[in-house]
Amino acid sequence: MNIFKELYDYRQMIFSLVRKDLRGRYKGSVLGFLWTFINPLFQLLVYTIAFSFILPSPIEKYYLHLFVALIPWIFFSSSVQGGANSIIASKDLVSKIYFPREVIPISYVTSCFVNMLLSFIIIFLVVIVSGVGINPLAMLCLPVIMIVEYIMALGMAMLFSAITVFFRDMEHILSIITMAWIYLTPVLYPINMIENKTIQKLFYINPMTSVIVAYRDVLYYAKVPDLSTLLIAFGFGILILFIGFFVFSKLKRHFAEEL
Amino acid sequence: MDKDNAIEVRDVKKKFKIYYDKGNDLKDRILFRNRSHYEDRWVLKGISFSVKKGEAIGLIGHNGCGKSTTLKLLTKIMYPDSGTIEMCGRVSSLIELGAGFHPDMSGRENIYTNASIFGLTKKEIDKRLNDIIEFSELEEFIDNPVRTYSSGMYMRLAFSVAINVSANILLIDEILAVGDANFQKKCFDKLREIKAEGTTIVIVSHALEQIEQICETSYWIEDGLIKESGTPKYVHEHYLYSMEQKRIEQLEKTHNAEVAGNQTESEKKPEESLPDFCDKSAVRMGTGDVRFTDAQMRNEKGEKQYIFDTEDKITVYLKYKSEKKGLKGNFGYGIFREDSLHCYGTNVSIECDDFVPIEESGEVSVTFQNSLLPGKYFLDVAVHSHDGIIFDDIRRVQSFVVSSSKRDIGVCRLQSEWSVNGKIFKKGVK
Repeated sequence: MNIFKELYDYRQMIFSLVRKDLRGRYKGSVLGFLWTFINPLFQLLVYTIAFSFILPSPIEKYYLHLFVALIPWIFFSSSVQGGANSIIASKDLVSKIYFPREVIPISYVTSCFVNMLLSFIIIFLVVIVSGVGINPLAMLCLPVIMIVEYIMALGMAMLFSAITVFFRDMEHILSIITMAWIYLTPVLYPINMIENKTIQKLFYINPMTSVIVAYRDVLYYAKVPDLSTLLIAFGFGILILFIGFFVFSKLKRHFAEEL
Repeated sequence: MDKDNAIEVRDVKKKFKIYYDKGNDLKDRILFRNRSHYEDRWVLKGISFSVKKGEAIGLIGHNGCGKSTTLKLLTKIMYPDSGTIEMCGRVSSLIELGAGFHPDMSGRENIYTNASIFGLTKKEIDKRLNDIIEFSELEEFIDNPVRTYSSGMYMRLAFSVAINVSANILLIDEILAVGDANFQKKCFDKLREIKAEGTTIVIVSHALEQIEQICETSYWIEDGLIKESGTPKYVHEHYLYSMEQKRIEQLEKTHNAEVAGNQTESEKKPEESLPDFCDKSAVRMGTGDVRFTDAQMRNEKGEKQYIFDTEDKITVYLKYKSEKKGLKGNFGYGIFREDSLHCYGTNVSIECDDFVPIEESGEVSVTFQNSLLPGKYFLDVAVHSHDGIIFDDIRRVQSFVVSSSKRDIGVCRLQSEWSVNGKIFKKGVK
């Protein structure tokens, strides 16, 4: 458990890397940090137009229905895909300097997470403007959902970042998996569109299903989510994080030689 | 671990896998499973040493001997295959300067990023910020983006951060070549200062003088083993001598190849070409009334030789034939360095104020006390008439090499005797 103390000592490094990533991303552009908000805003605008005129959906306020699920999904999928590549991307650091290697995937996922939080400012605005309104009790659940998702994303990123160093195909395999995964998760459609109850249950094997459903409950339906499925997702998150840490700690000794 | 020691390395071995044909992806792994053969190369074959707290050591050796690997093991970037490494206290490495710098962020922001990579917390960085900026001499520019910095400024900033981390153990790899001479001196003084404060230092460098100035012990690593350790000056002398020997072996090989090349060439065009005793690059002039038929460089025992020590006595031995009788002439020789610096030249007339009678055939020899410093040299020989007509003049008739284990510099050795405050220092001439 020495690693946790060490990671605590290196908290400033995690902080610096996250800040560097967030601030560095839009440095040099005229609008700079504003892009963090403009991006999701226009994404939303495009969906609204697309699903109101081009491809009208029977679901009421489909743009919001989609948006509240898509932003958390993007956080998850980019954490897994980008996180898997994070060690290789910081090859110069890893092969030249000592620091607890866990810092790299942690700061990558955290930076994606902060990005999501910033997008949530737009979500809140839209939720209020669209008339769905905010249910204070449901809102209290939101941090819990976010933490569960963060834990899962981190576990996946740890696991795959270590594996990708030794097996570079992982990166491409993951991009196919996440592409398929979005359809196995009710991001683009509501979960009750699956009428067969047994199949619907099967969908809940996918831990991301309960997370996305919970987000939508809070933000679209303004109701308190089903915490029992979320608990399973939490359990799964902890498990994958544990596996991720374990595999990572086994493989990290050889990173420098392999890179 | 001994409590006086900061670093203890015990019988550390490290191997690398050298792949003949590495397949890193699935296709290669499955299809060419047999192909991914690799060879274990032992870079370190059992190294042990310990460093006391506040001591500085240097690791030297030729490229690829394992010294940088040793340093990487100490930094914990890599781990040994067997053996143990124990260290106490915070370790900072000056292996990679400017790690994590973002070109678009200001110098100040980059200080925070870079220092945090060394494991400093925000509070600790705040405390050192002024020192770092002051040391880097970048006060005016500290809030400009790093991409606007010159490379010297960049390195100065990076070095300032690394050296102000206040580690207990500092590992340095070949980085004291930062900035201009002034800043280098400053870095060096800073190193001494932190050493005096009790920091343990390990330096890997080819700049042997730097190691001599700051380290108590030097370890010479060769082929993954410690070949010699002790007072830097002595270890370095042995090291340089061994390097010199290797260089000479190399030279001998090329020389032999050249001689072999000469012979085949002379077989091809026997009339035009230079005689065998001449170097390939030789140039011959003159009327041909008198011709050299042999030219050799000899050692004191009279044996042919082309590698000499700076302190050797060298004999130039010449044979000639003359077509005319009763000539009077003047023999001379000259020595040029490889870069065509004229090192020395003289002739009989200069030395004796007289000319010598030239017989039908004969031999000439001149012995001189060598004092040329290590390098490659060429010998010129010539014979002139008393009124300056060139009979025969061969430029670069022979090439030879001078080596020495002493490290004086310049063109030739001036025998020096030191007297400091009345006490005479003199190392015996070997």
